[in-house]
Amino acid sequence: MSGFLACRAHAFFGLAARLYLGAIFLLACWHKLVDPAAFAVDIATYQILPLGLVNVMAIVLPWVELAAALMLILGFRTRGAALLIAGMMAMFCVAITIAVAKGLDMSCGCFASQGAAEDPISWRTIARDGGWLILALYVLVLDRTPLGLDRLWPRPSAQPPPLDASKEPS
Amino acid sequence: MPRVAVLHSWRTAGRDALVALVVCAGVGSAVNALRPHGLAFVQRTEYQILVPCPEGTGEAPGMAADDPAVWETRTLLVDARSAAEHGRWHAPGSTNLPFDYLEPAPKAAVQRLAGSGAARVVVFGDGGDPDSGEQLARELAGAGIRNVFFVEGGAPRLQAAAAARGAR
Repeated sequence: MSGFLACRAHAFFGLAARLYLGAIFLLACWHKLVDPAAFAVDIATYQILPLGLVNVMAIVLPWVELAAALMLILGFRTRGAALLIAGMMAMFCVAITIAVAKGLDMSCGCFASQGAAEDPISWRTIARDGGWLILALYVLVLDRTPLGLDRLWPRPSAQPPPLDASKEPS
Repeated sequence: MPRVAVLHSWRTAGRDALVALVVCAGVGSAVNALRPHGLAFVQRTEYQILVPCPEGTGEAPGMAADDPAVWETRTLLVDARSAAEHGRWHAPGSTNLPFDYLEPAPKAAVQRLAGSGAARVVVFGDGGDPDSGEQLARELAGAGIRNVFFVEGGAPRLQAAAAARGAR
């Protein structure tokens, strides 16, 4: 098991996962940054957040998506970025599950503010977001020495120790 | 002490995420403040949420009010009009399931119809445009009930057909 966890190939698989997730989140944040008012309506349509928090979410979330995407792609504070992405994906999964369970006929608002007819939420949407959550967790847990800026300026405390560290004499 | 180091690395990841979150909150708020039509930080009035009306997805053919199949004993007649309209007149033996353009039919009622054992379900509504009977029939067909029809012209035609049958 520790051999699997310590496998160097994780850095390359992790890079592919990071580039993919980064591209997804760059795509996802664009319409929210351009038109936060429409995004606020998308959030309100879920009928989950209290009204007072809807605009705060619409103002802040797109920037978090943008920052996390750029950090993942550049490999800067990679695990922190993966943690942010995993947190957002978990939040989206819960929100969409609640909306689907309520029977709301709406779009998820993930990549565009559009009607339910164009992109209705469904269990497939939840499965898709669940897949992205797993990818983010993969980067967070297994990509221990991410390729990118973190390798150029490593911080001793940022990465977990090598998995065979316990075997080394103290 | 690897366990401490692992905990520390998670703490570092958490701290990085938190710093990014705080910076993004600051940048987002600043950009929003600079926008000509920035959002109010706290929304005071409810958003007008446009949730489309549930539309029937099934296929339900029309049936003439004087079609003998409408009046067969193995036919379950469903009145899609309001309870008040149903109270004023309804076809003998019909059951009332008011159609709502905004809310789907209650699942329990749909299950009752599905388990009724009727050979066909014939829905009649107000006969308007759109006809509530046709809408409900499509909704029921979309919910998986088979052999669902609607009465063309709705309750007015059905009432006339019932009167004609009574006269014969």
